[in-house]
Amino acid sequence: MVSKVDVAVIGAGPAGLAAAISARERGAERVIIIERAERLGGLLPQCVHNGFGLLYFEKDMTGPEYEKAFVDKANSLKVEFMLETMVIDLNEEGMLTVVNRQQGYKKIKPGAIVLAMGCRERPRGALGIPGERPAGIFTAGTCQRFVNVEGFMPGSRYVVLGSGDIGMIMARRLTLEGAKVEAVVEIMPWPGGLIRNEVQCLHDFGIRLLLEHTITFIHGKRRIKGVTVAKVDRDLRPIKGTERFFPCDCLLISAGLIPENELSKKAGIELDLVTGGPVVDQNRQTSVPGIFAGGNVVQVHDLVDWVSWEAELAGAAAASYADKGKIKRADQIRMVAGENIKYVVPQYISGKDDVTLHLRVSRPGLRANLKVGNILSKRFRSVRPSEMIILDIKAEKLRDARTLKELVVDCKLEGGD
Amino acid sequence: MRERSKSLWLIASSREVIKVSRREIVICIGCPMGCRVTVTLGKDGSVTTLKGAECRQGQKYVLNELKNPLRTLTATVRTVDEDFPLLPVRSSRPVPKTLLQPIMRETARIRIKTPVQAGDVVARNVQGSKADLLATTDWSGPGGEG
Ligand code: SF4
Repeated sequence: MVSKVDVAVIGAGPAGLAAAISARERGAERVIIIERAERLGGLLPQCVHNGFGLLYFEKDMTGPEYEKAFVDKANSLKVEFMLETMVIDLNEEGMLTVVNRQQGYKKIKPGAIVLAMGCRERPRGALGIPGERPAGIFTAGTCQRFVNVEGFMPGSRYVVLGSGDIGMIMARRLTLEGAKVEAVVEIMPWPGGLIRNEVQCLHDFGIRLLLEHTITFIHGKRRIKGVTVAKVDRDLRPIKGTERFFPCDCLLISAGLIPENELSKKAGIELDLVTGGPVVDQNRQTSVPGIFAGGNVVQVHDLVDWVSWEAELAGAAAASYADKGKIKRADQIRMVAGENIKYVVPQYISGKDDVTLHLRVSRPGLRANLKVGNILSKRFRSVRPSEMIILDIKAEKLRDARTLKELVVDCKLEGGD
Repeated sequence: MRERSKSLWLIASSREVIKVSRREIVICIGCPMGCRVTVTLGKDGSVTTLKGAECRQGQKYVLNELKNPLRTLTATVRTVDEDFPLLPVRSSRPVPKTLLQPIMRETARIRIKTPVQAGDVVARNVQGSKADLLATTDWSGPGGEG
């Protein structure tokens, strides 16, 4: 056993760093971040593009700059780090089992835990594309690591499947590095990533975005030689006769991110089937007391700024928990995703305090009317599944809802698609 | 005029653009709202109306986007350090969109010695843009953090 740890944070990406900083600021004495990689920052070092920090710092920063701001702060607050350390188990009592080369196998029982493991990319296997199994198929994030950190180009002619943000950002990056991006292929009728990425990464460089298209065949025996792309119908089935061949020597997959919750499952934490992350209350406490969660492990965010914000909530709550032995659960009202709402986080709120809801719509459209029970309604000129909606609700507004068990959130579209 | 319509074509959503020089839709990327801004242009190419921008900053962006689209360039340059082969860099200010690729070509030959600190100038006044390329991270050698 080690000396007492107040708050242990799992993961040293943007969420973990923000959680640890806020735990220290809330008075937790010993805060440790446990990270399996050899360095801090999670994915930030490989995200060399800008667009970070616009909300948090009101500054347009690159990934490495955003990382540095948090790492410097964590260091100045004497946050401790255990790098190259794997958490192999987490149980319901909040006991962590970790391994690393220096200390071997070790158990830690901190006062509170923050889960900040982030998310993973959906791999090709999960998509089930027919065809050969040649070399040259990568997730967009893996390619990003090759190109931005390790320093080599995995190919010269690319097709990107899925229009997630990393895929679009890589399409621009590869074009700037001299490669040709033949097309970005998106099965849905709308792009999967942010508008600014659609504009600045694709339109700026004349890169084709094929909406309502998918890859129906991968060609090539040893190395990928090309893909067959077809238009899809309303049920997302390929339409016969619309097939086109695109030559390429690399296929990138950018088909969404999945919160990484292997440890959460081991601890018996209740997961939300839609977000893929733990069910949390307003303070980001999970169903297991003393275990908190923040960032992409809870819900996949569009902007790192909100990752930091959410992790700060979790970190601050974890610090109070470590101090007092427990904190009141904020789970008086359950938030329910109603019409055209995919999910709402947090899943539970107290009804007594101000709260910020994060939610996504299922379908895009114009002139949307968003309603939270009958306590709040807000109009939006347009909504898109890829742009998270942030809604602040003041405690006074919730006064009437306090006797309720549930609050349903709806988003009616009045202007069509 | 032709040049202008072409750049508008590139920045506007391919689904919504109306390909006459009189009326254009520009998507503002000033914030995640992504306002679709409709601009009508007079015969001489001057802006007559501008609708759909939720804020003034967005209006300014759209007008500028019609006149002189600027982008912050982010990229990497090579180092001579095996443990840290690439240094992430950014332009110290936004540069004209048309200069992005020429700057990439100009800086492809650069080799950086480590250690290096965020903010260090990697190349000055790239392609006459008045922007410098700046390092965006620290690297103090193997074992050095971040
Ligand atoms: S016009 Fe204003 S509100 Fe609309 S996208 Fe641009 S910056 Fe955002």
